[in-house]
Amino acid sequence: MSRRRSLHLAAGLLLVAVVVGGVLLSYLWLPFAPDDTSGGRLAPPGGDHLLGTDKLGRDLFTQLLIGGRIAIGTALGAVTVGGVLGVSFGLVAGFATRWLDDAAAVLLDILIAFPTLLLAMLIVAGAGASLATAVIAIGLAMAAVVARLTRVLVKQILARDYITAARVAGISWPRIVVSHVLPNIAPTVSVNLALQAGLAVLAEASLSYLGLGTPPPNASWGRMLYEAQATVLVAPVAALAPGIALVALVIGVNLTADGLRDFTDPRRSR
Amino acid sequence: MNRRAVIRTLAAVTALSLTGGLAACGSDDDSGASAADSSSAIIQVGSVYEPQNLDNTAGGGQGVTEALNGNVYEGLFTLTDTGAVEPLLAKDQKVSDDGLTYTFTLQPNVKFHSGAALTSKDVKASVERVTAENSKSARKSNLAVIKSIDTPDDATVVFTLSSRSISFVYNLSYIWISNAAATDLTTTADGTGPYKFGEWKRGSTLSLTKFDGYWGTAAKNAGVVFHYFTDATALNNALLTNAVDIVTSEQSPDALAQFSGNASYKVNDGKGTTKLLLAFNDKVAPFDKVAVRQAVSQAIDDKKLLTSIWGEYGTEIGSMVPPTDPWYEDLTSVNAYNVENAKKLLTDAGFPNGFTFSLDTPSYDPHPTAATFIKSELAKVGITVNINTITADEWYTKVYQKRDFAATLQEHVNDRDVVWYGNPDFYWGYNNTQVTDLVNKAEQATTTDEQTSLLKQANKIIAEEAASDWLYLYPQIVVASSKLTGYPVNGLNAQFFAYGIVKS
Repeated sequence: MSRRRSLHLAAGLLLVAVVVGGVLLSYLWLPFAPDDTSGGRLAPPGGDHLLGTDKLGRDLFTQLLIGGRIAIGTALGAVTVGGVLGVSFGLVAGFATRWLDDAAAVLLDILIAFPTLLLAMLIVAGAGASLATAVIAIGLAMAAVVARLTRVLVKQILARDYITAARVAGISWPRIVVSHVLPNIAPTVSVNLALQAGLAVLAEASLSYLGLGTPPPNASWGRMLYEAQATVLVAPVAALAPGIALVALVIGVNLTADGLRDFTDPRRSR
Repeated sequence: MNRRAVIRTLAAVTALSLTGGLAACGSDDDSGASAADSSSAIIQVGSVYEPQNLDNTAGGGQGVTEALNGNVYEGLFTLTDTGAVEPLLAKDQKVSDDGLTYTFTLQPNVKFHSGAALTSKDVKASVERVTAENSKSARKSNLAVIKSIDTPDDATVVFTLSSRSISFVYNLSYIWISNAAATDLTTTADGTGPYKFGEWKRGSTLSLTKFDGYWGTAAKNAGVVFHYFTDATALNNALLTNAVDIVTSEQSPDALAQFSGNASYKVNDGKGTTKLLLAFNDKVAPFDKVAVRQAVSQAIDDKKLLTSIWGEYGTEIGSMVPPTDPWYEDLTSVNAYNVENAKKLLTDAGFPNGFTFSLDTPSYDPHPTAATFIKSELAKVGITVNINTITADEWYTKVYQKRDFAATLQEHVNDRDVVWYGNPDFYWGYNNTQVTDLVNKAEQATTTDEQTSLLKQANKIIAEEAASDWLYLYPQIVVASSKLTGYPVNGLNAQFFAYGIVKS
């Protein structure tokens, strides 16, 4: 592994650590109660309010910390939904043959062609706007990508000689999956999931920005951006803070994923 | 590969935070060029209220009123920008002594834009469009008193009412007189106003051009183009770049700083009629109890909410009646902000530990902000609010039609709409026979003084019983280029008469 790549990993981990640290801190201590409206309308940054206040007089730093919970929560939740569903479906599709294989491939291609945001908007429109529906919607969109990757990887591995050897030795399919297939696909799939986590954070912010994600009064970064839009000329920090936080987290997650890939992929370390 | 991923991510974040700003770039226009002669100028109007369709009896929304009322369509009467009802297409009126027969003589030489002459049959057909079975007009029930419409000759129309209706002439100011022969009024228009309908590019612009055959005083400009924006920031940017000359109603006070200190623009603080309501379902527990409604009203600091959303603009109100209505009375001291008293009222009503309710909140501004504020205020008296965000369509079906709600936020746009509290079948289900009686008697009144005094009494009762919580009255802020004069500033019922506008 080159030094440049390990620098990426370090920088990525640092950015993620800052956000996760902020989130953990928010569970122990918050500068103000989330619904404390005593700050005055659009107070400037400084003094009691590190980042100023919003229209209702709520502390923006408090909201930023709480928004971090939602960003991290969405990433973890969507990765869980997408990972479990995607890997399961990909495994089944990897074992399928003939028309069932074709059908699975076409189905996944169609699902992937569907933009994540559009799929999420459809689900949210049906089930109502909440953090849970947003997480499920994003997770489902992610599952399609993960399933396609898993399917291809499983097919590659099943073609290897050691699988044939294992079959000849009388080992059952479930045991082959657990001891040969899953360990071999795990590195690639987990890097992909990490990359998807960054996209999930963005997707949740976009949904909240559109009013389809986290409902008020919860402070999602996307929602904060939306609310700050009308006041951006008089209170620019209100728009900059959640924007920078989003960029930091997403870049952090992506750099980490890239760094991890170099750890796990022997071909790239040469 | 990894670098590309980072760049893509950055691009996505930038796009997200700049959506508002970028949208403005799409609206450039050649309207900045100043006209040589003011009467040949086209007025570029910016608005956030695009019509749903062009028919005000088919759910066209407030945008269709703004663009077409008084400009393309005219009524027998008109509600002026100052709130007075004046004759327009009705040249002359006679009312029988029992108040049941109204005879109107029409203005002579009035032509529709298609060329046909206005006759009494067009008036009859236009009123019947509003009262028809499939009409979605909000005024439909007001006109239920009409028993028959007769047209003895082309210039005379006679309305026979089943009971006295002092608001009849006022209600007629909402009825557009359209050509009875017109077949499609949802995508095109045929009225008698100073402008004829030009072109409507959905999602973008709607244009009106001066009608040369107009019967009255001709428009002082050559035409109007309404530019529609979904985003208030983009709309303000359009005004800053001269893509529009005037903004019909500003949506937030924070953008005003860039205009108020600038000699090129004029900020007009007019009188609005739009009220923000926390409407309770008065039929269903716990809001069927007067004390609970009073407690909620007293627990919310309306003044602070108004300042949060509108800064120094807007007005506190104590009831449904805005100051421009003849029966206005300052009732802000009734159920005023008093947290201690609210707690006491809750205890007396049997809720010493508060309760939980779901607040149906339309997803667009200012409702989510108001809901957040209400949640935080009511938490102080032990009431838990679950904010349920819904779309405008869901509001219409869930709240307005099915009445499936505990409390909701909604803006009520019209003037003189306190009378809805006299209708127990309205969506909020307020049922007080005394108020119903007073509202009915007011409608039967023979003089406006009598009507005013009866409605004042009704208004006082609903305020004391906290039938709803009237959070505040919206300001009506029109910002225009200082080259413009003669535009309406009050925007009563979302009207926007453009014919008097002069661009120098």
